[in-house]
Amino acid sequence: MYDMGKKPLGFIRNKLNKSNVILSLTILFVILVIVVGLVIFRFNILKYNVPTDDKVYDKYYVMITDNYKSDFWQEIYKGAFEAAKEQNIYVDLLGDNLPTQYSCEQLMKIAIASKVDGIMVYANESDKMTELINEAEDEGIPVVTLYSDNTHSNRLSFVGVGSYNIGREYGKQILNIIKDKDQKSENTDSEAGDDVTNIAVLVNSSSEETGQNILISAIKDAIEQGGEDGDKFSFNIITIIDTNAFSVEESIRDIFLNSNDDIPDVIVCLNELNTVCTYQAVVDFTKVGETYILGYYDSDAIIREIEKGTVYATVGIDSKQLGEYCITALSDYYEFGNTSQYYTADVKLINQNNVASYKKEKEAQQDE
Amino acid sequence: MNRFLDKPLQYKIISICVLTNIIIFFVNIFLLLGINSMSVEMEMVYQDNRNLNELSASLTSVQDSMTEYLSAKTSDSLENYYKNAQRFLMLTDKLDDKITELSFGRMERNIKYMSQNYLDEVSQTIEAKRGRNVEKYRAYYENSTAMYEYINAYITSLNLELFVNNSKHYSELNTAFRHYEFISFIVITLVMAGNILIITSFVSTMIMPLRRLADSANEVAEGNFDTELPELTYNDEIGTVLNAFNKMVISIKQYIEKIRESMEKERYMQEKELMMESHLKDAQLKYLQAQINPHFLFNTLNAGAQLAMMEGADKTYEYVQTVADFFRYNVNGKKTEATIREEVTLVDNYIRILNVRFSGDIGYDKQVDERLLDVPMPNMILQPIVENAVNHGIREMGDKGKIILKVYREDNNVCISIFDNGKGVSAEDIEKIMSGNWQRKEHQYDNNGIGMDNVISRLRLYTESENSFSITSEGKDKGCEVIIRLPYDERH
Repeated sequence: MYDMGKKPLGFIRNKLNKSNVILSLTILFVILVIVVGLVIFRFNILKYNVPTDDKVYDKYYVMITDNYKSDFWQEIYKGAFEAAKEQNIYVDLLGDNLPTQYSCEQLMKIAIASKVDGIMVYANESDKMTELINEAEDEGIPVVTLYSDNTHSNRLSFVGVGSYNIGREYGKQILNIIKDKDQKSENTDSEAGDDVTNIAVLVNSSSEETGQNILISAIKDAIEQGGEDGDKFSFNIITIIDTNAFSVEESIRDIFLNSNDDIPDVIVCLNELNTVCTYQAVVDFTKVGETYILGYYDSDAIIREIEKGTVYATVGIDSKQLGEYCITALSDYYEFGNTSQYYTADVKLINQNNVASYKKEKEAQQDE
Repeated sequence: MNRFLDKPLQYKIISICVLTNIIIFFVNIFLLLGINSMSVEMEMVYQDNRNLNELSASLTSVQDSMTEYLSAKTSDSLENYYKNAQRFLMLTDKLDDKITELSFGRMERNIKYMSQNYLDEVSQTIEAKRGRNVEKYRAYYENSTAMYEYINAYITSLNLELFVNNSKHYSELNTAFRHYEFISFIVITLVMAGNILIITSFVSTMIMPLRRLADSANEVAEGNFDTELPELTYNDEIGTVLNAFNKMVISIKQYIEKIRESMEKERYMQEKELMMESHLKDAQLKYLQAQINPHFLFNTLNAGAQLAMMEGADKTYEYVQTVADFFRYNVNGKKTEATIREEVTLVDNYIRILNVRFSGDIGYDKQVDERLLDVPMPNMILQPIVENAVNHGIREMGDKGKIILKVYREDNNVCISIFDNGKGVSAEDIEKIMSGNWQRKEHQYDNNGIGMDNVISRLRLYTESENSFSITSEGKDKGCEVIIRLPYDERH
């Protein structure tokens, strides 16, 4: 009888083992589901709770300007920001994210009250600015004037462009323009001799900067020194009202509207916005070829206009370098207690001859 | 596992229910924890904005109380100013002044320092006002109001940015919540499926032996006791029932076997009895055929004996009396059993009759153990053997013929030996006699009618042994010995 039972015994044992295996697998499966579910859930939650990279910086510098949206200032800011980041310093473009637009003076006040570690300010020569810069220095905050100086204040250092150099470059270009014009008139008109070249320099009303004055005198010097006999110039300074946001464009248009035949042959612009407004006005008033524009700054739009020929030449400023110099000045101050009074960024003249290579260079830089 | 399966059925069922419930309970707890943490998270989303609003309100109250003091110079407003300033200071202290990648962080830092600056300005304003320094307090007031506006602008801006960010965070949380709902649903479904599998496999593991029991019970009910018995699996109630069932089936089988054996024995006994009877009947029939009317003969002989006595012929009387006794033995008993004593007496009578007939030719010698004479044996056995020995052994030897009868004990047997010194029997003839193939000669006279084959088969039936009868002869003219072995029972 036992022998008979042997075979089914094995069968039952098999079945028992099988059910044991199924049971263990099931329990394992349930546990697995719970664990996997929890893990997925955790990951999901974590995904939404990503703790933002709370990198803490040692110092906090602010950059103050009245036109933080322009390419020019954004470039400067970028240069400063990247240079600062390497030293674990954060640079803010103050006022960038505030609802109201504040003047440089107001922003200075905010910066002083915020006890920042360094200020880079697009200053002017006003007493108010001097006062604020001195106040900041009293509070122990080093101030670097950027692009435009306040010479009377106790500012740490000035970072800008060599206005005299720029002026001389402009002068050379004006001479070139006169040559071009002479050639043209010789070809077309016999009575070219009494042709007077009208040169207009656009100056902003709010800024009575020394830089501008230097620049203008440099232009004059260059023309007088390099000019041929018989060349006649009339040299005017046109003040552009920039008291409110849109007045610049209007005052530039006014030049074309009001002055009838007296439209300048050469317009020298001393900032980015003026350049843009001027070339647009020249295009709108169909004065291309008659009015030559000497622009300022090398934004993409201006470079494009040079390629087209609307703008005769422009001055490319290494704006990143400006920003970097600011940081260097401030860091030097913290490290050594003092720094150079002046920093001058490189300037490059761009006209139709070298615009292609300049563009290539710039692209190569950006690719880096 | 097996230890668990050995537990009582009730325990197992409850355990499974509890296990599955615990699994579901824990899953639910985890899901609830998840929901809880998410709802807390959601609650906290706009916490920053609320804090900022509080800060803003506090700032405004400082500014208001200062303005009030400046305009009315009431002690209430001064007190209010101190209280509000204290509160505002406390709130600004909580702000973080770390410079981080996030614009919020930096704005928070700026707000903190500006607020401290503002509080300084305000307190200076108040001081100047108390000192009636008109020019100074105006300047301070302007400064602090400007600062107030800047701070407010900052707070508004920060609030807005935080709101945008938090709204984004909120909607992300909302999406996460939806995902979570979906995942929870899947998890619960899977866990339920798993539970169903667990319960199913457990229950089927528990029920399987019961099903096998039912199957084999059905087979047993149909009369197949040789069905394979369900294997004992676990020591639960089902295991107990299984065990009991198996025991029951085995003992039923044994019982049936016993009954069958005893019935067979009974049948065998009855058969034996019948055979004995039929052989005896056969012997008696033969005997009766030979002596037509024994009663008549016996009575006649008795009458002859009396006559001889009356005439004073003692020898004749004795002879006739012996003959009468010889025949009475056959007439008397219808029984099949007799004692050795009776059989030996019959042989004595027979020899005596023969000696009268053949005038004392036969030498007869008895060596009998008296203690064994009461042992039972089948009747009509010894006389035919002696008759055979006389007829075939010593008939022609005259007075030299001799018969020796011995009764003795040998181990557990009572042996009766009948020896004659006659012609002897050849081995072939012995073989024939023992196997019952001896051809009796026709028309044999002087024969009581009972053949050796009858004697042998009756003896064998009685003793249930093949060895109960043996013939030995050492050769021609060397005589022959017949030995009967009867089982000796001590009780006799």
